[in-house]
Order: sequence, then C-alpha cells, then structure tokens
Amino acid sequence: MTSPTASVHRVATSIPEPTGGLQRFLHRQAWTTGVAVLMVLLVLWRTSQVPHFGDFEIRTITAGAMSLAFLAMAQALVVISGGIDLSVGAMLVFTNCLSALWMDGKGLGECIGIAVAVVAIAIAMSSLIGVIITVSGVPDIIVTLAASFTISGLALVVLKSPGGGASLDFQKLVAGGLNDYWPSLLWTVGTLALVWLPLRRTRLGLAIYAVGSNRGASFLAGVNVARTRVLAYSLGGLFAGLAGIITTAYTGGGEPRASIGANATLNSVAAVVLGGVALTGGVGGLAGPVMAAVCLSLIPAIMLGRGWDPSYAETWRGVIIIAVVLVGGLVQTRRRAT
Amino acid sequence: MTAVAAPRPSTRRDLRTLLAENPIIVLTAVLVVLYVATGLKDHSLFTSNGVRSILLLACPLAIFAASQTLCMLTGGIDLSIAMTANLVAYVAANQYSRGTAAILALGLALLVGIAVGIVNGIGIGVFKVNPLIMTLGMASVLLGLVTVWLKTILKGSTNLIPFVKTVGSGTLVGPLPTNIIVWAVVATVLVLGLRSSGIGRMVYAVGDNRIACRLAGVRVWQVLLVVYIVASLLAAVAGLLFSGTTGSVGPDQTNSYLLPSVAAAVIGGTSILGGSGGYSGTIVGALILTVLNRLLLALDTSEAFKQILYGLIVLALAWLYVRLTGHKGTADAR
Amino acid sequence: MTTPLLQTRGLARAFGPVIALRSVDLTVAPGQVHALLGANGAGKSTVVKILTGVLRADAGSIAVHGEEVTLSRPADAQARGLAPVFQDPAMAPDLTVVQNLRLTGVDVAEVHRVLADMDLDGLDLTEQVRDVPLPFLRMLDLARALARDPQLLLLDEITAALPPDLSERVFGLMRRWKEQNRSVLFISHRLAEVREHCDMCTVLRDGRDVDSFVPAQGGEAQIVSTMLGEAAAGVREEARGRAREGSRPVVLEARNLAAGRNLRDVSFTVAAGEVLGLVALEGQGQDLLFDVLSGNRHSDSGELVIEGRAVRADHPFDVIRHGVVLVPSDRLQALLPQRSVRENIAAPLFNRVARWGPINGREERRRVHDAVSRLSIDTRAGSQVRRLSGGNQQKVTIARWLAPGLRVMLLFDPTRGIDVGTKHQVYDLIRSLADDGAAILMFTSELREVALVCDRAAVLHNGTIVAELPPDAGESALLRAAHGLETVG
Repeated sequence: MTSPTASVHRVATSIPEPTGGLQRFLHRQAWTTGVAVLMVLLVLWRTSQVPHFGDFEIRTITAGAMSLAFLAMAQALVVISGGIDLSVGAMLVFTNCLSALWMDGKGLGECIGIAVAVVAIAIAMSSLIGVIITVSGVPDIIVTLAASFTISGLALVVLKSPGGGASLDFQKLVAGGLNDYWPSLLWTVGTLALVWLPLRRTRLGLAIYAVGSNRGASFLAGVNVARTRVLAYSLGGLFAGLAGIITTAYTGGGEPRASIGANATLNSVAAVVLGGVALTGGVGGLAGPVMAAVCLSLIPAIMLGRGWDPSYAETWRGVIIIAVVLVGGLVQTRRRAT
Repeated sequence: MTAVAAPRPSTRRDLRTLLAENPIIVLTAVLVVLYVATGLKDHSLFTSNGVRSILLLACPLAIFAASQTLCMLTGGIDLSIAMTANLVAYVAANQYSRGTAAILALGLALLVGIAVGIVNGIGIGVFKVNPLIMTLGMASVLLGLVTVWLKTILKGSTNLIPFVKTVGSGTLVGPLPTNIIVWAVVATVLVLGLRSSGIGRMVYAVGDNRIACRLAGVRVWQVLLVVYIVASLLAAVAGLLFSGTTGSVGPDQTNSYLLPSVAAAVIGGTSILGGSGGYSGTIVGALILTVLNRLLLALDTSEAFKQILYGLIVLALAWLYVRLTGHKGTADAR
Repeated sequence: MTTPLLQTRGLARAFGPVIALRSVDLTVAPGQVHALLGANGAGKSTVVKILTGVLRADAGSIAVHGEEVTLSRPADAQARGLAPVFQDPAMAPDLTVVQNLRLTGVDVAEVHRVLADMDLDGLDLTEQVRDVPLPFLRMLDLARALARDPQLLLLDEITAALPPDLSERVFGLMRRWKEQNRSVLFISHRLAEVREHCDMCTVLRDGRDVDSFVPAQGGEAQIVSTMLGEAAAGVREEARGRAREGSRPVVLEARNLAAGRNLRDVSFTVAAGEVLGLVALEGQGQDLLFDVLSGNRHSDSGELVIEGRAVRADHPFDVIRHGVVLVPSDRLQALLPQRSVRENIAAPLFNRVARWGPINGREERRRVHDAVSRLSIDTRAGSQVRRLSGGNQQKVTIARWLAPGLRVMLLFDPTRGIDVGTKHQVYDLIRSLADDGAAILMFTSELREVALVCDRAAVLHNGTIVAELPPDAGESALLRAAHGLETVG
C-alpha cells in the first residue's frame, strides 16, 4: 500500500528554479543601491551649489560625515544582531573627551597608542552592556538608555568643559588637512573593505546575522546566541569608540555636552534605518548606513546652499526616518505574506 | 496528565509577590528615607517652603512621566513629549502676546499638542511604526519646526498667560503649590481611569498581549491612538506648567525632562514591555528623583555624578523588577 | 547484544504544573531505523527536544554508545553525533543556504555530495533561505545534518511537508544509512511509512514508553491500539454526545473555504445546540481553518456564513459581533498573562469604543463571579493568570466568552495539557453551552473526546473534509480516516 498522501501529489517534484538575477538583486541590494543613488544625487546637488567644487569641499563632506558614519556602523551591528543601542552617542562623547584629555600636547606616536587604549576601553564598556542585557533580561532599550546616562556622566567626569586636544599630525592622519580628503575617505572605505567585509564572512559575522534573523532557529542550529549578542555590542563599542577618536581628530578637542550624545544616537538610528538595516534584525549591512550618514550630513549644507533655513534639516530627518520605517515595514509585510 | 495543586507560596515567595505587586510600599519607604536623609543635610526641606519647592519641581516631571507611563503600559515609549511641551508652551505664550484671548491661546496650544498625538498614534497604531522610531522622528520634526517657526510664524514676543503663570508658580495653601491642583486632577483621572474604565483595561491589555486583544475583538490601533493623544496632551500640560514655573519659554527648555520621565516610570514599576505598572508608582518615582536631585545638590555633587547615579539607579531597579516578576524581557517584544 | 547506539533511562520533564514526560526508556540499536510514536501530547516532541539539547530533562539519563552524556545545548548534541532535522528548519531566513551551512561549521562540499546522493544537486545554495520552498529547505536541513557525519539522525516529522517523491529519496537515504551501521530515530504520523521503513518502534502514551515492537509484524492496527491504550480497550466514560433530534437551524456554515497552502476546500455546517468535532492529524490545515473562522485571517476563497448571512471578516471583531468566539489552541495567545482573572474575563467587554467609559464595578464583579463559579475556577493565584495552572487558565479563556449573545464557540483542542478532572469539567461545560443553544465546533487531538462530547465528527485531511462520522464511529475508524485511509463501509 502506498502512503495515503501519495494520491494527492502524483507529480514528481522538480527542483525549484533559482530566483532570477534581477529578483535576487532586488531582494538583497535594492536598498543599498537606492541609498547609493541618493548619496550621489545629493553630492551632485551640493556640487552644483558651490562655484568651485574642489578638494576642500570634498574633504568637508568626507571628514564631516566620518564620525557619524562610524557611529552608524556601531548601531548597525547591534541592530543587525536584533538589539538596539541607545548609548552609542554617549559612548562617542565619552571616548571623544577621554582621548582629547589624554592626547592633549602629545606627539603622533603617543596619540596612536592612546587611541588604541581608548577604543579598548569602549569595547570593554560595550561588552559589559551586552553582558548585562543578556544576563539580566532587562529590555535592551532600558539598559542602553540607563547606560547612556551613566556614560554621559563619565564623559563629564573626564572633561568638565570643552577642552583637550590632539597632536596636529594625528588629526591630519585621521581627518586629513583642510584640503586633503584622502585620509577620511580611506579610513571609512578601508574599514568597510578591510574590517567589515571579511568579518561578515566569518562565523561570528554570520552568527550576528543569524541571531538577528531568527534567534530560535539559530539556537537550534547550534549557535551560541548569548555570546553572539554580547559580541555584537562589543563590536558596536569598537566602532563607537572609533567615532569618538575621529571626533577628537576632526574637531581637535573634546566636548562633554550630553545633548551631543543624544543627538548622535538619534542620527545613528536614522542612518541605520535609512541605510536599509531592518529594526527587526538580520537584514542589511554597514555600507548602507555609512552612505546614509553621508546623506544625512549633506542635508543641512544643501539647504543652506538653497537659501532654506537649515533648521528644517531636523524636520526632514524626522520625516525621512518615519517614512523609511513605514515603507520598509509595508514592503516587508508584503514580502513575508507571499 | 495530572493536576498539580497551585503551589503553596512560601513566606519568602509571599514577600516577593507582595513587593512585585505593590512596589509602591517599598518605593514610599525609599522616598521617606531619602527625604529624611536629604533633610538632614539640607534642613530647609523640613520647612513648609522646602516641601513646597519639592512638590513644585516634581509636578512637571510627574506629568511628563504620566505620558511616559501610559505609553509604556502599552509596550511603547514617547520620546517626543519634551519637544511637544516646548512647542505648546511657546505657541501659548506667543499667541497670547499677539493679543489672542488667554483661553483661545491656551486652547490653540493644547490643540497643537493633540495634533502631535494624533500623528504619533496613527503612525504607531495604524501603520505599526516602531514607537521608539516614530516618536524619535517626531521629536526631530518638531525641533526643526520650532526652530524655523521661531523666526517665522511664531516670531515676536512671548509673554506668559497670567493664568499659566499663576498655576505654574503660585502657592495654594501652606506647603502646597498651585500646580498641585493640575497634578491631582491628572493623578486622579489616571489612577482611577487605568483601574476602572474600559479604556484603562485596554491599555494594560494591549501592552500585555496584543494577539489576545485582537482575538478578543479589540481594535488595537484605536487604543494606541487614544494613548498617544492623551500622552501628547499631558506633555502639553506639563510644558505649560513648566513655562509657568520658570516664567519663560524656549525651544528646548524641557528637553532635560525626557530621560527622567522614563526613569520615573521605570522606578515606579512600570515595565517598558507593557502590561504592568501604573501611575501611583510613577508619582513616587517622580518624587524620588526630585528629592534625589535635591540631595545631590545639597551634597554639592557634580552634574557628572548625578548622571552616573541616575543611570545606575534606573538599571538596578529595572533589573530588580525583572527578578521579582520573573518576566524576562526580550527584544522580540519590541 | 551490542551496545545500543542511544539509550535513555527514565527521562522526565515537567513544564510548571504540566507533566510532559513521566519516564521514558528508549533504546536505539546501531543500524536501526527506530520510530517514536504516540498520540498528540504523548511526549514525543519533548523527547526530541531533550535528545537535541534544546530542553534539559528534570530526571533520567542519556547514553550514547554506552557512555552517559549531558546535553545542555544543541551544539552538545551535535558534538555527540546526534543530528536533528526539526519540523521547522533551523535556518536563519535572511541568510543564504551556504551562509547557514558555514554558520554552523559544516563543510559545504560535503553537503553538495549528500545532495548529489539524493539527486538534488541542482539546488542553488546561494539562494536566501526565505526564498527556498519548505520541502527543499527540509531536504537541505537533512543534508546539513548528514554532512556532519552523525551516528544518529533524528527526523521529526520530516515527511509531513514532503511530496512523495522527495519522501522516497529520504527513505532511500535511510536504507543506505542503516547499511553503514548508523541509526535513525524517526518520528512520523504516517503509519504506513513507519510500517514500511522502520525496524522497531517505541510508542509513548501520557509521557511514558508503553511498548516497543517491530511495526511490520504488528501492523497499523497494533500501533493504533497501543497509541490509544486502555481507552480503546473498552473503558468508556459516559458519552455526552447525542444524535441530532429533529432539525435545528444552522448557525455556522463554511462554504468551500480555502486559505494559504494547507486549507484547500472545506465545507461544513454546525447547527444550534450541536457540537461538531473536528479530527485531524497535525498540519492538515486546522490552524488555518480556525484562523479563518475566527476572523483572524482572510480566506482566499469560499464563504463564511453566520446565521444565513455571509460575513466578510477583516478582524476578529467582525465575527465576534455576530456571536462567534474563539478559544484558541495556545492559551497564551488568548490570555493577558500579567493581569488578573477578573480583568481577563472582562476583557472582551471593552472591545468597542462605546464601552470605554467607567466600569460598573458591581455589575462586573457579578458577571465575573458567575463565570468563575459556573466553571469553578480556582482564583487563589488570581492576581496574575500566568500563575494559574493550565486547566484554570483554559477555564478563564472560555469564561470570558460566557456572556449573552454567544452563538458559536470555536474551540481548538480545549483540553490539551490539562488534567483529567478539569477535562471533564470542560466537557460538561461544552455540553451545557450546547444545551443552551450555542453551536460548537471543537477541534480535538484526543480522539476519545469525539465520543465523549460531540454529536458528530468531521475529519480533516490535507486541507479538506474527507469524512463525516457519527460520534460512536470508534477511534480506529476516526484515526484511519484522519490518516486518509478509506473508512470502512
């Protein structure tokens, strides 16, 4: 006797057609491509506004967007792993202040050493946040919100008022001279190409995506979910720390105001959302958020160039975030339904 | 399968249950200890004027925290309350300065608050935008609008409506500031409303289990819309009160209340995952934070130390509540 | 006798007040395809979860090749050579197949080799998991498990979503596997497969292993009677169902309902005062059917008719308005776990804006009290319903609908995981609701409930109603029908 269900499907099952190249591209790269196009358009727009678009203008864009770009990478990593980190901005302010304090009056070599040390501290602090989240079971929003208070406070302990400094050579090495856009460009692109791309191919990188995509399935597949989540926060700390160092190099000092951190966190979330990382986790990459960070930094400049009040940039940022999440949500619901 | 009788709770368990269900008892004790400790350092706290100053300062925070409590009970959060408050206070003062009748200026300002709530509620309820993102974005939008409007449609002088000023800074009787009337009304409506009105029940229900609400026939978006409208309205009231207390309006004057509003609700035992907590805890939470501020002021600690302590307290209490209620939060709940 | 490849002794596990496993001994010899059988709720899935390191046993031991092991994480089980293929493929949907393989450290070339073995080498592994149809995802999951070169394969309902030709490839593979002296633990509802392909089977009932035998010798009849246990042997409780007397008005009618992949074409009627039992194996479309009937999901085609009117439901409220209410399979779906019994019972009252005003406390207390006493709910731990026992929780999910205007109650496996005493209270309640004129549709995974409660039984198989039987048709007739076998006569 045959299996009872046999009568229902008589047809031999054929191997499914692979999805077409176009569909695959749309599913995986459409958003990043869209952001890239948007970035190019905005850059072109900005170019058309300035009579002489030279090295100085390019450097203003690349170095100006750099710290937000790194902060967006930090946020993106955590969001991809299925969490959220509302303390990245405070971490930026803290590492900015700490490095500015220690680097003041030092030479290039020492500054590099200090940068490494400060980033290591940031990694340690973020790892601790990750551990608290996984061990305590307190929602990540609350833990990172509380951490943002505490870290802002630490920044104030480090530096009571704006001050500190860094070696000029170090500043040039990281953010470039006024007409030198290469360092900022290379650091950003280099981090994406030499750190992120290899990382996302490692088992840890894959595990971060897997845990964000479906925690239960990842657990069943044998992934150590808690460790992966903690490591995502650690990596977030790495990039947030770098963002702080970059801020020191770009501005040549430390600025402990907590509102800067809150604003930076907001911007990082905006860049992540605009950069195609789903808040539900598991989707997106770091290139999108980096390009989105460039877009977000360009908006005020362009508005100023158009003669609009640049304060509207805030409004546009808000509208863009909401619209992007809304549209993204609708697209995703549709895709899941089919 | 066998029935296992409901486990008979041990005394320790009873105590834990008691604490988990009535955090307000513990909180009140903490408040009293903190108050006495602060008073020992700063004797003015034991005078009628000292009590008044605490209540006066706690009131706007408590009303901001009321918005936050409502949103958190549904599993959401409202990060746009501070900007809403700023805008509303500014609109009221500006309209009044232009010769609009006080009552109309006030009404217009509150309408602005309601409008913000409607947009938030539609985004979160109907389009299911993550509340964190929706209200962060809204805060951004409002900040931009306020900054620009200051130079355009809201240009001009800003004289506070006398009524707002009286309520915000007057004294009712003895140690009671006038703004406590507003606070009392808000507290009564929220505590009773959450406990024994249909919408109150639905606020908890939506935060506790959205699927169950849907299966019970509840249109969840309706509940969320109401919640975010009320939250914005409360923020508007808090903004007006604050302007009355300080005698000024500014585009970012209440921003420092945003995180403490979340903190007050968390300290008061409201879970950010929704479904448990209430306003009475938040009231005590707001008072604790205000007294704590005063203590830190009396100890002459830096702003830095205050921030660090704030963060640690919120984290410790949130952890404690998770331990007590045994409710592990996960990111899936977001 | 050689050392068994896998041996468990006295595995036990409870979930709060519910005991899922009492004591399970299971012995799988090398080179054996061993079937693990049991009715729904007998404990199969708990055994699988323990053997794969997803859950830890409260008591008992597991030995692999005679050596006792502790499995605290899925990775531990894999390291011991126990490779599971779960019902839901353990793959992250947003990654490609290859990424999922690398994630778990599996050699991709080896997977290709296994796939070629199963004649599936045409599968594109760079596809995102989300885009791969479920049957192939299962095959890929299987290939991944095999690529680890395990000692024991655990196949949990692997054939449930597979078309027959793919199932055949799985069986072929199992045969070759066994020749290498390795074993398979095979969990399936399809008894024909078990009889044909398994060397040995162990039957679980109520959390214990009740018998092990060679399935080909005993045949499906022995399997079924062992699964059902004493109940089939004639210890019958009083049947509450009766044949319909005269003609009652039809309250709920499904006309050719279809939805999703699994619900193909379902038509039936339920009359006032009647209890219609719905019987089906797992995954025959019953979940979708209840979703559609309760307004939680659109049907793709067909009509839902309530008291003669076709109802188009966009939201559960649209059917609740007509008095059609759902008691869902998962109690946690229906309850507000952190709220009190009272609030849970009263919750549906506030599902329309007009009722959002102040609550009449006395009126509410009276209603809640009535419901609590009618169902004898133990409210001692009533301040949070998540602290109640499963049975009391289930009563609460029913109690909240005991308001005027109830016309149809849809119950999905209402007695799953609750104790015998409470079960009987639930049966009595269902009967008394029917006597009050409600129409009741009850899906049940416990076949004996058909005789105990229902007036009529409909059997759902493969997304369509394949048989309608009288309540006294007997469990073997029901089970045969549910397996898609011809009903006698």
